[in-house]
This record gives sequence, structure tokens and C-alpha cells, in this order.
Amino acid sequence: MRGRTIWVALVVGALAVAAMTAGAASSAPTARKANNITVWLQVDAQSGWPDAVAAANQQFKNEHPGWNVTVQYQSWGDHLQKLDATLAANNAPDVIEMGNTEMTKYMAAGAFADLTSKKGSFANSSSWLKGLAASGQFNGKVYGVPYYAGSRVVTYRTDLFKKAGIKKLPSSLAEYTADARKLAAKNKGKNFSPVYIAGTDWYVAMGFVYDYGGRIATQKRGQWVGTLNSKAAMAGLAAYKAFFQAASKASKTTIETRPNPYDVYAHGGAASMIGPSWFSCCVGDSYKASTGQFVMPGHVKGTPMPGFLGGSDLAVPVTSSNKNEAADWIKAFTDTATEKVFQAKGNIPNATNLLGSTINERAAQRSWFVPTAKHWVDVENGNILRNMLSQILTGKLSIKQAASSASDNIASVLNGS
Amino acid sequence: MRRSRRRYGQLGWNALGLAVSAVMVFPVYWMVSTAFKPDSGIIAETPQWIPLHPTLDHFRAAMAQPYFWEDVKNSVIIVLVTVAIAMVLAFLAAVALAKYRFSGLKVFIVLVIGIQMLPQAGLIIPLYVVLARYHQVNALSGVIITYLTFVLPFAVWTLRGFILSIPKELEEAALVDGNSRVGAFTRILLPLIAPGLVATSVFAFITCWNEYIFARVLLNDQSKQTVTVWLSYFLGSSKHTDWGALMAGSTLIAIPVVVFFLIVQRKISFGLTAGAVKA
Amino acid sequence: MPQEVAIAAETTPSWPRRRRASAWRRALGASVPYWLILPVVVTVGVVLGYPIYRLVRLSFQQYGLFELIQHKGKAAGLSNYGSILHDPIFWHTLVRTVIFTVVNVGLTIAVGTLFALLAVRVSGAVRIVLTSSLVLVWSMPVVVAVQVWYWMTNFENGILNYVLTQFQLGDFSRHDWYASTFSELSIVTAVVVWGGIPFVAISVYAALAQVPNDLIEAAEIDGARPWRVFRDVTFPILKPVLLILTSLSIIWDFAVFTQPFLLIGQAKLHPGNYLMGVYLFEEGYLKTDFGRGAAISLVMLLIVAAMSVFYVRRMVKVGDVR
Repeated sequence: MRGRTIWVALVVGALAVAAMTAGAASSAPTARKANNITVWLQVDAQSGWPDAVAAANQQFKNEHPGWNVTVQYQSWGDHLQKLDATLAANNAPDVIEMGNTEMTKYMAAGAFADLTSKKGSFANSSSWLKGLAASGQFNGKVYGVPYYAGSRVVTYRTDLFKKAGIKKLPSSLAEYTADARKLAAKNKGKNFSPVYIAGTDWYVAMGFVYDYGGRIATQKRGQWVGTLNSKAAMAGLAAYKAFFQAASKASKTTIETRPNPYDVYAHGGAASMIGPSWFSCCVGDSYKASTGQFVMPGHVKGTPMPGFLGGSDLAVPVTSSNKNEAADWIKAFTDTATEKVFQAKGNIPNATNLLGSTINERAAQRSWFVPTAKHWVDVENGNILRNMLSQILTGKLSIKQAASSASDNIASVLNGS
Repeated sequence: MRRSRRRYGQLGWNALGLAVSAVMVFPVYWMVSTAFKPDSGIIAETPQWIPLHPTLDHFRAAMAQPYFWEDVKNSVIIVLVTVAIAMVLAFLAAVALAKYRFSGLKVFIVLVIGIQMLPQAGLIIPLYVVLARYHQVNALSGVIITYLTFVLPFAVWTLRGFILSIPKELEEAALVDGNSRVGAFTRILLPLIAPGLVATSVFAFITCWNEYIFARVLLNDQSKQTVTVWLSYFLGSSKHTDWGALMAGSTLIAIPVVVFFLIVQRKISFGLTAGAVKA
Repeated sequence: MPQEVAIAAETTPSWPRRRRASAWRRALGASVPYWLILPVVVTVGVVLGYPIYRLVRLSFQQYGLFELIQHKGKAAGLSNYGSILHDPIFWHTLVRTVIFTVVNVGLTIAVGTLFALLAVRVSGAVRIVLTSSLVLVWSMPVVVAVQVWYWMTNFENGILNYVLTQFQLGDFSRHDWYASTFSELSIVTAVVVWGGIPFVAISVYAALAQVPNDLIEAAEIDGARPWRVFRDVTFPILKPVLLILTSLSIIWDFAVFTQPFLLIGQAKLHPGNYLMGVYLFEEGYLKTDFGRGAAISLVMLLIVAAMSVFYVRRMVKVGDVR
């Protein structure tokens, strides 16, 4: 018994020493920190384009001899909580990737360094994608450098379209609605959706609103006003309701990840779905060969429906002590050659002069983005748009009632202090 | 007649035990079987009870996720050190709480139970700021210290309960011959509450092993993270989630916990079997 | 070891009470308790002392993202507390959470104890199967467990609907379990209770292991029925452990966050189905209003303390009697 106790104590002691030394080695003396920058990128970069990251690191090291780059990968779910903690403790990274919808709140709080004077030094900055560049600007100053973007496209079953007699891809909403009816006639399954759209998928629904010239909210004399109850916006909502009723058998109240559209598609439950272009990854083995994509048409023939421009910006936290070096790293990571790598991986590069003609990029010709308001995130978290769509689709409220109530809510949230 | 009744009774209890186990463990079974199903089986409309075409692809994909083995090592170090230190310190404090009357006892009890009532979410940022000041961020030692402060109050409280439930007769018999040294006292008390110590250490082990939010915030380098943070990367990208790999990864990280339990669970049965043999 | 102790008890003459008490005191000394609790006090105090102080101070400040970056908060007196106590959502959530806690704790303790008693009854091999199953459940990370439960209960292809329909308990195909608050919180209850049973079951089982078999047999030989044996012999010994488990379960179930947040999903959470843990997250951290979050944390602490004071006082008394 005694021998065993000593043995256990020794093992625990050894482990403790290992833990302490592992800890000590990492919290290196501050002298080293002076020649090191820390970069936070999302895991998408780690799995998608690790070579581009390595190349940017190498380029940075060549330009700054004696300097090192530490890249730490984050997940979307909690990277903001980590950022808050590091800002509070003054050891935030030197460069951070932020989602474009996450930027405004932090810019308004003064979290990022002002990069306006350096704007000219970033590659292609004069032709940055409007929607993406806007997400990195606040009060006329530049705080975020556009990194890459993605738009929404239609992913569809070429075989089902052919069987339904659809010879030409739709170039207007009316044509698409007619095609949806043809598809429904040929596929009489109980839950088959010619176009699978989740009821409260506001990314798709707001596209209709912007297509008809409406907007979610505008600023008038410094105050935000909800504009979903304008004539144009309500026309868009009505068009969405009509399209949904004709084309989607999805639940009217569910969100766009429960279930995932591509899972429904992979069961053969949908002939097409609207979503990011990467949806084509997960259509299931049986339909991989018969899947294609096209640009979602708007109600005016020949024009695309505005697609939600998702994307990321790169910013420099204001607590960084290496702001110039951080900006240089961003320069290396967003130069033309690196943007072309992102493009090759299926993303939209950050400048219009780099745009090619993939479906994704053509869809980005017309895009919309959320109001750049400090409290926009609270509107999203409060599910105001989702509730409005649910009320409209279930018929609980008329379009006018639902839109007016949502507009009032949005205004009060955006104007809250 | 009596004996066969008892045998049927025993059979009945056993059958119930097995049925209960099956129902409880079903979600775990679902996790493990999903890990073996090909992607088409995972999203199938009619549920597949048994994987029809089991595959090891997801396990391969999971282990290919960067830093798997380093993170396992980190978790093992953190958890074993925390549990070992916590059990020793908590046992001593629990003895004090259970066996003594001293001024400050009530205050200490209130503190012990009070700390556990504090929602942990509120402490993340202040704790991070404090640890950063002493270079305990991005370090295993910082995580160990943090985990100790969460495990200790609970362990003290629970062990006190186990010590108090030792029947008076056993305890007083143990104090025969004027055993005057704390060490001897401990040596006799310890085996009596071995089952309680085991249950508490298993809980401490599992809590630390599965803890996520503090490990996430405190550890930056992927080479220093724990397996729960490693697992979160399967859910972290903006693209689709690889459910098969996530389930495979979860199955893999559950193995050490079960191994730990199987090793220590013999200690719990000891008291029961000692009596059963006589029957 | 227990066998030897039992034999010693039979063969040793009983000592007079006073001599036992002074032997005890001699054996253990007066300053010993302080030394025994010192390591725990130091560890917890040093690490959590300042953060708890900061938390309390924060609750009296206006402290959002802007103040976080400036490292300076604005003094706000009791306004954080005022805004919480005047918020009808807070009160509705509180009532809902209290009911939720009572149901969850009741189920967890009752079912967990039954499982422990079952584990005692079955034969060795089945016991290992039962306890290992419980540990497997216990060891599943919450995030993964929630995902599996979601798959089991989703309306598109969940097996819960499939099984209920197959057993002809009604037409449950495509039944949406997340359509009403009661239904949503019932599923959350199922997940929380399922996840909480192993700890209770194994702890009670361990406590039962400390019950000497001869005491039970003595009672059984006297002709007592199983219920009376449980009530008169087993339960008094289990009492301290059950009190602890109940108080801990109250603390955990009141503040539960991960299960409701992930199961219901951020998009379907609304004040009508908030639980306190979710309320704290939404009102405090999602809105990056750290001052308010701190105030809510402290209010929750006071409420949980009030809910568990009965058990804590019993616990302390049980110790005093000895």
C-alpha cells in the first residue's frame, strides 16, 4: 500500500512538473513578444487555404527580418467571447478575422485601429466590393479590410428539371415560379419542394425585398427608421409569400439549418434550393453528378435577385502594440495573388476588378447587406425578421401588420443606446 | 420452492437492469453507431438501427483533424493532476468539516456552497484578466488552477456527506486502542469512504474532461488545447458540419473516461460484495 | 477492511463515553482543522477572490463593450439591479425556472436513487453493465448529447416520432416537438434529467456500498419488509448524501444553459421560453452588457441560495448532531 502511494505521488508530481514547464515555456519572456504578431483566422482558412496563409507568413517574414507570425485558428461560435476576454486583459491578437455582420458593433465601441491612412496601400482598395467594404467602415473611417465574400445561388437537379420539360434556366421570378409548378406536377411526393426554402430564411426573403427596391432600415437625421412597411418592401414580401407558397413545402416557421436544405435535397426532397454556393458539397452521392447551379433571378427579366453578401473582414484590435506590422501582414494576405487563391477555392475575391464569371461571382453583381448599425446584431439575436416572416407565411398577421410591427421593433432596437 | 422463487426474482431484477441500461444508453449507442455509418446512412429518412455498411472513414477523418494526439495528452495531464490534487485537498477539508467544531466552520461551509452557486459565465472575463497578469494564459497550469477552484468546493461538499454517512458503530470501532495520530485516523477512515472517494473522483474527472468554455478561452495555441476544444472545431466552420467525424471524435474522447471508471469502479463494489459472500 | 473492523467491533469492550471524547481530542488537536482547510481556502481564495470582487463591482457599473476596451466603467449605482427587478421578463423567467428546477431535481433524485437500488439488487455482471451504461451517459459531452437528442426528436426523421408511430400511440409522423414552449421544455427536461441521473445513481450506489450488510440482514431477519428496511436502516444513512445531491442538483438545474440554448436553438429562443441561464446569456453577454450580466449572476446566486437553504441547513445540522 505504501509503495503504491509513493508511486502515485511520483506520477502526479511528474505530471504537475510537466504542466508547469509546459506553461512556463509558452508564457515566454516579454522580449520575444516584441518581434511577434498574433493572427486570429477562422478554421475555414486552416482547412481551405493553409498554403495561402503560409505564403503570407513567409512574405511578411521576408519584409520584416527577425519577426515571427503566430496564427491561431478560431471557431465562429465563440471567437467573439475570446476577443472580449483578450481585449479586457490587453493581450488581444494583432490581426483578427471578423464576420462582416460582426464588425459594426465592435467598430462603434472603438475596438479596432483606424486604417484609413493606410487604405491606399492595400491591393485593389479602390475597387473593393461595395457591400464588403461598407462593413469595415464606420463614421467615414476604415477599420476593416475586406478578406473574401460569398453570395447566394440556386443549386438544382439537372435531371429533374429536364424531366419536367424545363428547357431553359429561368431568367425571371415569374419564369421560375412557372418552372416550380411544372416540377411539382411531375413529382407528386407529399413533401417534395420544387424550391426548398425554409419559412424564416430571412437571407432569402430580404433578397425579394431589396429586389423590389425596398430596404430593411435607413437613417434619417441620425435616427434609424424601419422601412419594411414601405410600399416597395411590402411588394417584395408579397412576392416572397407567393413564391414560397408555390414552390416550397418546408415548414413555415422553421429556420434554414433545421433541417439543412442540402440534407432535404440529398433525400430527393427538393429539386432546387437557394443558398451559398458551397451547398453543392453535400448533395449526396446519388445526386452529385446531376447537380448544377444558376443565379437566382429577380422579378425583372434578365437581372439577378440581390443576394446576401456574406464575408469576412480583417481588422487590427486597438490594443495591439504592433499596428504597423499587423497592417503589413494584412497587406500580404489580401494581395492580388492571394485573393486569386481564395477565388480558386470557390469564394468571391474582395475587389470588382478581380471578379471572374463563376455563378457565385455573377450572383454578387447585385447584392444586399444589413444596415450598418451598432445594434444590428441585437435585431438578429431578437429574431425580429424571423418572427415577421413566420407571421406572414402562416397568415397570423397581414403583410402590412407584420411589416409595420417589425419596422417599429427594428427602429427601437437600432436606436437603443 | 423458496429458492426457485428467489431465482426468478433475481432473473426479474436482472432483466429490469438490462432493460434500464439499454434505454439509458441508447443515445450513446446512437452516437457510436453514427460514427460508423457512411454519410448517406446518417441523413437517411428511415433511421438505421444498425449501420448496414460500417465504415472507419469518420474515425480516420477525426484523427486527421490537426493536433488530436497533442490535445489528448494535454487533457490527460490537466485532468489527472487536477483530480489528484483536488481529492487530497478536498478529503482533508472534508474531514475538518465533518469531524470538528471550530469557529469559522459555518463561514467556511457557506463559502464552499456559495461559490458553487455562482454562475460560471460571469467569471470568465475577470478570471482571464487575473490569469493573464500572471502569465497563466495559454498554459496548462492556468487551466489546472481554474479547474481546481471549480472542483474543490464540490468535492469538499460531497466528501463531507460521505464521511458523515459512515455509521457511528464502524467509526468508533476504528478509534479503538487510542489511535492518536492523524495519519492512523486517516488510514482507517479512508477505506471506509473509498466508494465515496471513487464516485467523487469520477465526477471530478468527467467534469474536467468535458469542460469546454474555460479551456476555450484560456488556451490559444492549438497544440495546448484540450480534446473538448479540439472537438469544437468540427462545429466551428461556416460551412456544413461533418457529423460523422464529430460523432467519431466524440466516441474517441469518451474512451479515457470509461477506462478510468472501469479501473476505479471495483472500489465501489468492495463493501457490497464483502457482505454478499456471507449470504 | 470493513470485515476486520466489524470483527473488532464485536470483540472489543465498549469504552466509557468521556474517555472516548478526550481520546478523540487528544488524537486530533485543536488547530488541526484550520490546517486541514487551509489548502482549499488558499487555492480558491487566491484564484477566485479578485474575479468575484470584480464581478460584484461590475454589477454596480455601466460596463459594455466600449467600457471594456477603455478598461473603465461608469458608476451606475443600483440601476442594473433596478432594470432587472422591473423587467417582467425576469419575473416570468424566474417562475418558469423554479418550476423547471423542481421538476428536474425531483425526477433526477428519484430516478437516480431507484437506479442505485436496482444496481444493488442485480447480480454482478448486470451491475457492471448498468454502472458502465451510466458512466457512458455521464461521459458524453453535453454538446454532442444535445445533438443526438435533437436528431432523435426532430420532426423530419427523428426516431422518437418513428417509434411512437410504430407502437401505434398515435400519428406522430413529422410531429414538431419544438412547436410549443411546454413541449420544448419537456424535451430539455428529458435531456437534463437523463444527463443528471448517472451522478445521482452512482453517488447513491457508493453510499449504499457503505451500508454494512449485517445491519440490513439484522433488520431482514427481524422480519422487516423491504420498504421498512429502506426507511429505517438505509435511508438514514443515505440522508447526508441525498441532501448534498439535492442541493447540488438545485444549483445546477437552476442555472442550466447549454441544453436549452442548443436544443431549442438561438433562433427559436424568446422571452416566452427563457430559463434563467439563457436569460443571463441573452441579456448579459449576447448584448455585451457586462454590468447587467454581473448583476443577473448575483441575483441568481441569491435565488439559488434561498432555494437550497433548507437542504444546506439540514446538511450542517446533520454534521452538528455528531
